[in-house]
Amino acid sequence: MTDHPVRLTVNDELRRSRLTVLFRLILLIPHALWWWGWSILAVLLAIVNWIVTLIRGRPPAGLYTFLASYVRYTTHLYAYAYLAANPWPMFTGRPGYPVDLEIDDPAPQRRWTVALRLLVAVPALLLAAAFAGGGPGAWSESDHREAALTWAGGTLLTVAFLGWFVSLALGRMPRGFRDLQAYGLRYLAQLAAYLLVLTDRYPNVDPAATPATGVPHPVGLAIEDDLRRSRLTVFFRFLLTLPHLVWLVLWWVAAVLAAIAMWFAALVIGRPPAPLHRFLSAFLRYATHVYAYLMLTANPFPGFTGRAGSYPIDPRLPPPGRQRRLVTAFRFFLAIPAFAVSGALGGLLFVCALLGWFASLALGRMPRSLREAQAYALRYSTQVSAYLLILTERYPHSGPIRVEPAS
Amino acid sequence: MVAAWFLWQTSVPADLVLPKVDPTVGVDRRVLDEAEDYERFLRWTFVGSQLAALVVLVLYAWRGARLTRESAAGRIGTGMLLGMLGLALVWLSQLPFELLKLWWQRRHDLWRSGYLEWFFESWLSLGAEFLFVCVFLVTTMALAAVLRQTWWLAAVPVFVGLALLFAFVYPYLVDGRPAPENLRRDAVVFAHRQHMKPVKVEVEDWSDFTTIPNAYATGVGPSRRIFLWDTLLDGRFDERELRVVLAHELGHHSRNHIWKSVAWYALLLLPLLGGVAWLTSRRGGIYTPRAVPLALLAVLAGGLLLQPVDNAFSRRHEAEADWVALETTRDPDAARRLFRGFTRDALEDPTPPGWAYAALATHPSVQERIELATAWERRHRGG
Repeated sequence: MTDHPVRLTVNDELRRSRLTVLFRLILLIPHALWWWGWSILAVLLAIVNWIVTLIRGRPPAGLYTFLASYVRYTTHLYAYAYLAANPWPMFTGRPGYPVDLEIDDPAPQRRWTVALRLLVAVPALLLAAAFAGGGPGAWSESDHREAALTWAGGTLLTVAFLGWFVSLALGRMPRGFRDLQAYGLRYLAQLAAYLLVLTDRYPNVDPAATPATGVPHPVGLAIEDDLRRSRLTVFFRFLLTLPHLVWLVLWWVAAVLAAIAMWFAALVIGRPPAPLHRFLSAFLRYATHVYAYLMLTANPFPGFTGRAGSYPIDPRLPPPGRQRRLVTAFRFFLAIPAFAVSGALGGLLFVCALLGWFASLALGRMPRSLREAQAYALRYSTQVSAYLLILTERYPHSGPIRVEPAS
Repeated sequence: MVAAWFLWQTSVPADLVLPKVDPTVGVDRRVLDEAEDYERFLRWTFVGSQLAALVVLVLYAWRGARLTRESAAGRIGTGMLLGMLGLALVWLSQLPFELLKLWWQRRHDLWRSGYLEWFFESWLSLGAEFLFVCVFLVTTMALAAVLRQTWWLAAVPVFVGLALLFAFVYPYLVDGRPAPENLRRDAVVFAHRQHMKPVKVEVEDWSDFTTIPNAYATGVGPSRRIFLWDTLLDGRFDERELRVVLAHELGHHSRNHIWKSVAWYALLLLPLLGGVAWLTSRRGGIYTPRAVPLALLAVLAGGLLLQPVDNAFSRRHEAEADWVALETTRDPDAARRLFRGFTRDALEDPTPPGWAYAALATHPSVQERIELATAWERRHRGG
């Protein structure tokens, strides 16, 4: 497959000015006013662009340049707002910003996709909600307010909120956070280009298409899924998972007790005891298998024991090793930011499952990009759990590149 | 056979002769026609649904083993998956019939919930069935791993234990509220007359979904309860009729019908599970997941064959509860009015055809119940 005509480039060194981070929202005010004006004009011109493209089969050059600049400027602005980049952006959308877009020249578009653009874009808009917020949590009166608000904020706002504190403290944005923001920004830019009729290529949610550098992590996810899905088991997937959910709850009770014992033991002896490590590793593997099955990330009905290598989506967990007592002592509190990111990625996982359900029923296979996005969210969630359960002391890495640990 | 004979006995006098009574007296002819029409449609819907389920399970027994490739769960886990998928296919095959039934009940103002609401409830109850079939298969496949062909002998006490556990727990799962004071008072008096400790009486809210009146006795030991649907308390039945209902349900408890039903269940399980073991032995036994589709077919077919026997047993219990209610309230007039009310308000056909009566009826017909009340009256008052 050829590259997407709208590509994100990242040339950011992660350094953040504490002063501009502190006042970031206020600094955004002039840009926000300018952006609103530009947005109104862009919407009007997009309608003209839609009509002309429908007639001619390709967008006119002038309109294309204007709308491409608007999308680029929006990406710069979002990158600044969400702390994916440091410098105050220009108002013109001129290329050269650390988080920038490469947009190909105008190309012919299939007229039927132009005609049905808004309708066809609905799945992508749902996915965009997982990044930009506005998901069900925004209006939900759920008792689980924390999770609901996390999803409402989407990954961009959640990571920006956490990144604000980190950047103020350290003067730099964590690489994983920056790369996750780049992932969301890329998707939103591609969606904007699609909606404004700059291209007929559908936005690609595959995290691997994001320019990011992977960091080796001891907790990875081995994927041997062939994307084939049984329509029958897909249709009844939630109900088929019920026995596993019951079993998982029972196992979870034992795992909580084991985790507490593990915490005390690791504090005393400076490393997790092998039997507890083995038990909690099996629990975590099993939980990941069950989520992968429930969310359609994999096809076969999982086993009940969490045996390593028994499932196409299988966590790779490290052997027990030494861990710093100080990190162990405050493990729960240290994990809270990672939980928040994991909650936001849970929204992405769920939307992908929802869309994948329809796609799998129709096609008998899961679209690769959806599966990859889910695998990314699952991998991060597994890293968070492994960190909390004291299976590793390496903090979860939220960057969207898949890096497998050495086996 | 000896156990079955003992369980079959009831306190209804063996020499009781039921007088011929016209059950239509006092019931509007149009209502009778409607009841007959209503039940006829439901009977044939039932026949169609059972045939569809059989066809689906025959096909599943033939080709279902191929679905083992959708599992990475080992022997028992794969068996569970195949069991759940079999139920899922049966559920799909029943959807048109269930929809027809709902449409018919709504048409006769007996059911109020919407189609979408019904669909989600049906979907959720399928989830409960999935869990049940998983428990069934885990038990049988685990026992078969140890005992091979004789697993079914050990499975019977396990399933009886589970049935008792369910009977004990069920009342705690129902969302009931205390019954009106007068009914609770009556329940205490009636319990005393039936030589038993008082039983809690609660009301279950069903009027948002249906207009059908109903009540049931449930629970064992300390969990014993009587639940009255609020559709019984909406003014269509007077206080004397409600007392008959209460005494009838208490009769189930005082005559230990729930314990006896569990024992009866154990007796029926023996041939049913023995049949499953024999049939599945051709595919390596229930030990292998590939035999699960055939086991499902055997359970459904065996269940259908045993249904008339089970229904007959249930009817004897209901007749005994009616008898106990008459002994307790000594009010056959109210009992007759109550039974006629079932035709008026629940469109029960007072005289169903023989085959439907044997295959479907868990209660005596309205005619039989009225006849029983009249027989009681004649025996006690010489009327």
